[in-house]
Amino acid sequence: MAFVKAQKTKAYFKRFQVPFKRRREGKTDYRARIRLTNQDKNKYNTPKYRFVVRFSNKDITAQIISANITGDMILASAYSHELPRYGLEVGLTNYAAAYCTGLLLGRRVLKLLEMDDEYQGNVEATGEDFSVEPTDTRRPFRALLDVGLIRTTTGNNVFGALKGALDAGLDIPHSDKRFAGFSKDSKQLDAEVHRNYIYGGHVAAYMRILMEDEPEKYQSHFSEYIKRGIEADNIESLYKKVHAAIRADPSAKKSEKAPPKQHKRFNLKKLTYEERKAKLIDRLHTLNAAAGADSEDED
Amino acid sequence: MPAGHGLRSRTRDLFSRPFRKKGYIPLSTYLRTYKIGDYVDVKVNGAVHKGMPHKFYHGRTGRVWNITKRAIGVEVNKQVGNRIIRKRIHVRVEHVQPSRCTEEFKLRKIKNDQLKAEAKAKGEVISTKRQPEGPKPGFMVEGAMLETVTPIPYDVVNDLKGGY
Repeated sequence: MAFVKAQKTKAYFKRFQVPFKRRREGKTDYRARIRLTNQDKNKYNTPKYRFVVRFSNKDITAQIISANITGDMILASAYSHELPRYGLEVGLTNYAAAYCTGLLLGRRVLKLLEMDDEYQGNVEATGEDFSVEPTDTRRPFRALLDVGLIRTTTGNNVFGALKGALDAGLDIPHSDKRFAGFSKDSKQLDAEVHRNYIYGGHVAAYMRILMEDEPEKYQSHFSEYIKRGIEADNIESLYKKVHAAIRADPSAKKSEKAPPKQHKRFNLKKLTYEERKAKLIDRLHTLNAAAGADSEDED
Repeated sequence: MPAGHGLRSRTRDLFSRPFRKKGYIPLSTYLRTYKIGDYVDVKVNGAVHKGMPHKFYHGRTGRVWNITKRAIGVEVNKQVGNRIIRKRIHVRVEHVQPSRCTEEFKLRKIKNDQLKAEAKAKGEVISTKRQPEGPKPGFMVEGAMLETVTPIPYDVVNDLKGGY
């Protein structure tokens, strides 16, 4: 191999400044975080809540968080894996499920703060831009949307969750530019299209297309839907029932599983010096035994 | 060309960020709360250009007299000529740290209150005044061996090093 000049010399490592841990993990955008959590100094200890929405491959996490030096405090949280409790078992990461999760979190927070009677929000989801009106008694609960590292394109599921929280009655400053159904040409939100997405209309349309053109693909793609007897026509009524169930009882349920007595280990435990020496001696013994056996075989 | 006495003159090293601490500043600086009357240290953070105090105030400690949205008013002593003026400056929170100068005093206050309360309960009279360190107590020197050292006469033959 040709002589290659070593790129990462000792000098390089000596001068290397390691980024923050969560930046290394690629999980936190500090530029946004500074701007979201910075509270006016003349408001002293008043917490500044952010409405955090994160998507994993199979789950949606929505939380209301306030920042602290010791660590962020979570006021309330809602996950899309709780939606089976309200009657929705499939399609847990789509726009409609995001709407349900946002709605669940919003109602949960308002119930926690005993504001749920005052601020009903938008009971019938129409897809129009809805902002909470302050009543005479208390000002609405204010939070700031924190999307994390996702690309904010029009129609992203994050904004489905935002719409859910808005309709629940939270005061989140927003514009309708990024909701599903906003057209760049007319610069207006098409409430009909948005309502379609909130009730899973786009999923239903795809189901109909597949049923027509590729029935086998329909069987494989929507197998869980078929198993539960969900068809393109009853998707909207399903989501309506879920919304109603969420509004009826948004309280969080404690899981019955007892926390494991010993924390689960994900990495190997570090060996002590004695253990490492013992391991080395064992390795040498086996090596010698094997070498002895080989030399005997050769002889 | 002469040196120039601009606002940030001679601050090349003073305002530079320390080795391997460049870039985003940790969030705790923004999350701290300050109240009027607190003591704070002014330490300039060269990464944030707004709300920087003049280089004179770098390293000074003062009391908070005003709090605004993003900045804090600090009252710092400055010697001007033959007198000390109490100067009021406004500094953004990134250039301010809570001072530990009164920490020892505050802890002592709490401890003294506690001791006084205990003594009152027991009915004894105690003094919580700090006493300066007195002279060290006397002690006997143990296990000392007496070794007499005398100079040895100079030996020309052996001690002359090098050329002879």
